[in-house]
Amino acid sequence: MATNLPDSAIPNPLTRTDLAAIRNALSTQLATRLESRRGETPVRREVLVCAGGACVSCHADSVAQALRDEVAGAGLQDAVRVVEVGCMGLCDAGPLALVVPDGVYYPMLDPEKVQRVVSEHLAGNTPVADLELAWETPEGKLLHSREVPFFARQQKIALRNCGVIDPASIEEYIAADGYRALEQVLFELEPDEVLTVIKRSGLRGRGGAGFPAGLKWQFVREAVGDVKYVVCNADEGDPGAFMDRSILEGDPLSVIEAMTIAGRVIGSRQGYIYVRAEYPLAIERLEGAIENAWRCGLLGPDILGSGHTFEVEIRIGAGAFVCGEETALMRSIEGQRGTPRPRPPFPAQRGLWNRPTLLNNVETWANVPPILLRGADWYAGIGTQRSKGTKVFALAGAVRNTGLVEVPMGVSLAEVVEEIGGGMRSGLPFKAAQSGGPSGGCIPASAADTPIDYESLQELGAIMGSGGLIVMDSSTCMVELARFFLEFVVDESCGKCPPCRIGTRVMLNTLEEITAGRGRLEDLDLLESMAAHIKGTALCGLGQTGPNPVLSTLRHFREEYEAHVVDRRCPAGQCKALLTYSISEELCNGCGLCAKACPSDAISGTIKHVHSVNQELCIHCGSCLTACPTGALVGH
Amino acid sequence: MNERTGVEERQRTTGELPGFFGTHEPLPADEIRPEVWDLIDQWVAAHPGGRERLIPLLHRVQEEIGYLPFPVQEYVAQQLALSPIEVYGVVSFYHFFTTNPRGRYQLKVCMGTACFVRQGQRVLEAIESLLAIGIGDVTEDRLFSLEQVRCIGACGLAPAMMVNDEVHGHLTATEVRKLVRKLRARARRESAASAEEEASGDEPA
Ligand SMILES: Cc1cc2nc3c(=O)[nH]c(=O)nc-3n(C[C@H](O)[C@H](O)[C@H](O)COP(=O)(O)O)c2cc1C
Ligand code: FES
Repeated sequence: MATNLPDSAIPNPLTRTDLAAIRNALSTQLATRLESRRGETPVRREVLVCAGGACVSCHADSVAQALRDEVAGAGLQDAVRVVEVGCMGLCDAGPLALVVPDGVYYPMLDPEKVQRVVSEHLAGNTPVADLELAWETPEGKLLHSREVPFFARQQKIALRNCGVIDPASIEEYIAADGYRALEQVLFELEPDEVLTVIKRSGLRGRGGAGFPAGLKWQFVREAVGDVKYVVCNADEGDPGAFMDRSILEGDPLSVIEAMTIAGRVIGSRQGYIYVRAEYPLAIERLEGAIENAWRCGLLGPDILGSGHTFEVEIRIGAGAFVCGEETALMRSIEGQRGTPRPRPPFPAQRGLWNRPTLLNNVETWANVPPILLRGADWYAGIGTQRSKGTKVFALAGAVRNTGLVEVPMGVSLAEVVEEIGGGMRSGLPFKAAQSGGPSGGCIPASAADTPIDYESLQELGAIMGSGGLIVMDSSTCMVELARFFLEFVVDESCGKCPPCRIGTRVMLNTLEEITAGRGRLEDLDLLESMAAHIKGTALCGLGQTGPNPVLSTLRHFREEYEAHVVDRRCPAGQCKALLTYSISEELCNGCGLCAKACPSDAISGTIKHVHSVNQELCIHCGSCLTACPTGALVGH
Repeated sequence: MNERTGVEERQRTTGELPGFFGTHEPLPADEIRPEVWDLIDQWVAAHPGGRERLIPLLHRVQEEIGYLPFPVQEYVAQQLALSPIEVYGVVSFYHFFTTNPRGRYQLKVCMGTACFVRQGQRVLEAIESLLAIGIGDVTEDRLFSLEQVRCIGACGLAPAMMVNDEVHGHLTATEVRKLVRKLRARARRESAASAEEEASGDEPA
């Protein structure tokens, strides 16, 4: 059952009639991927296997192969098709597959489970109940597959195609309404009308700062110059964030289509996508998508006969966080060290090679085609007064359901963490969530009812950021967290401006003293005043926001800092220098590794007998904790 | 602006000339294969342009030989009409580029936020004490090199690390010890196998 048109059948270049034909041929089949039809035996089934980055690292490809083999072995190759799709979101459950049109998710697949899915479900028409994704609500009710809150509570716009279409197939993208927005822009709307739609939709930049997208487009459109550039920021530097990566891996053409649209609106023929080197799979899929678009005449000269010419090239980063900053990013494309420069002039006036440049984030781009298709009012109807639409979050840390979620702006943090995220994995209480990574701040559990939008987060001292949401339970020390982020900023500071280069280093030293148990109460004031100076004087957003994690933890968890400096105590039990070490008699197997690791001979004992720690000699370095293979060594 | 005047015509040798970075005494393992120079020549010829080619070219070369030794940087500078310090400036700015050879097994421990929250530090410490090397180092036998990276996108498996291109998740100090032992054994097996092959290859068929 060849549902995808064979390569040779794709006319090159495509015309609008061809696009319509592809949509006609494939769209009903695509629609079944969103259904949940049980209790009947469909003529054909598809098994969608998640091939997102996380699932690939748990060997989703061999699961897909095993499925194909089993399907063929059962003689079902005409009734069942195995499709590899982009990230489905529930990264914790990988390798993950979805059987459609039944709408049954199977998590954590392995060859044995694959065998049962094929023989019982695909051949026998009975979903395998004990393998199906299930979730017990606090009330004790058992929910399955799509009813599970992780899926049921989401609203997908930027991720509309992720986990639904095969990212390598341009036909599937076209059938999923792809390139309809571009057709509108090329043949039905004037550039100014497009601008009006984007502006009225209220779409704001998803890269962190939340600048109105329509306004930015207008600036570049109005800027004087015959050469202009369109850039996609896919540097995604926030450690622990993977929204942009998943979009590029799961739906690369949506970004390319949006950039092509912007090219028409601002009058540009050349686009660049700047991707970080750490994302090889995203780069591979983007390359494939660009090649497909070229082959079909959807990139290149005279697109669809409209006279519009647009090309896209990939530029690969080289591991510098500051290159996510727009001016640094453009320098990096030019082949320079990626140091930022003062703004103004803004990229809209002087960007790449001093030409007017429109730069948006991946997720911002991915929102553009649906806005044009469904209208500004539809989009503006989602979200809050000043933050429209949805936001994708990469949910990770102490939460049970690690993964990618897209929710309307304005939902509460509690909803995201407790319902979609499924609460804490450890069972310990929820303590705080960090949004915006090293530029952001923490939202304490006490403020979990705050609606998530640009303004409310700012009031709390956090920021929306690009969407990394790291959840922490009570075992995370907030001082150590602040130290972690500051260490990151010190590492990544490009060194150009002294407030950032020297100031953050001084702050880090102070925090290290505190976590080492040598802090003084005055240090807390020093941290606050240093932070204010750095924020006021640093050259770029890196320095201007770098102190935020310290300020926000000081604001919401000051008592934890005080416990470190006054009582010499780490309430979360994480700062090694402040812990007392002891050895559990039950767990110690007398291997002696701790005694060997101890640099101050504080541990004694004979081999095969329980060892003990001499508190007088202990220097609280924690080496023994690392060395112990049985977990007998505890620090408290 | 970046036009470099008076680029010396330079032999494509590594150690002989006192280059910009001083003389080098490359270890036998570091000897730069002649193909590398050809690769650079061909790449430059196939990609006309200016300075914006520097980073893509460095990526290509590092992909090939694993690191960017100074003679290679100098050669790249010469081919792109840049000064060596401009190339070195770029190489040293970006974390991804390295001037140190790497181990057969490149251990990249994730120090992203999700891994931090799930005790990634312990994994790093365990490796450091086990192999007696720090971040950026390589063991004497060139079997292991250690790097820290910021998020490898396996946050669901945190704490995680990569061994070459393979992701290992849910790590503990004990798991790390097992993994290192396994890799050592694998290396021994492989070198034994290749020695055997060589030995048998010598015999007339
Ligand atoms: C230090 C620093 C790092 C940044 N990193 C990123 C990033 O990784 N991805 C991104 O899209 N924007 C990043 N930004 C924001 C960009 O400078 C820019 O505002 C954004 O890409 C604009 O796109 P948008 O309007 O669509 O959000 C960063 C900013 C700073 C100051
Ligand atoms: S933070 Fe370690 S994989 Fe993301």
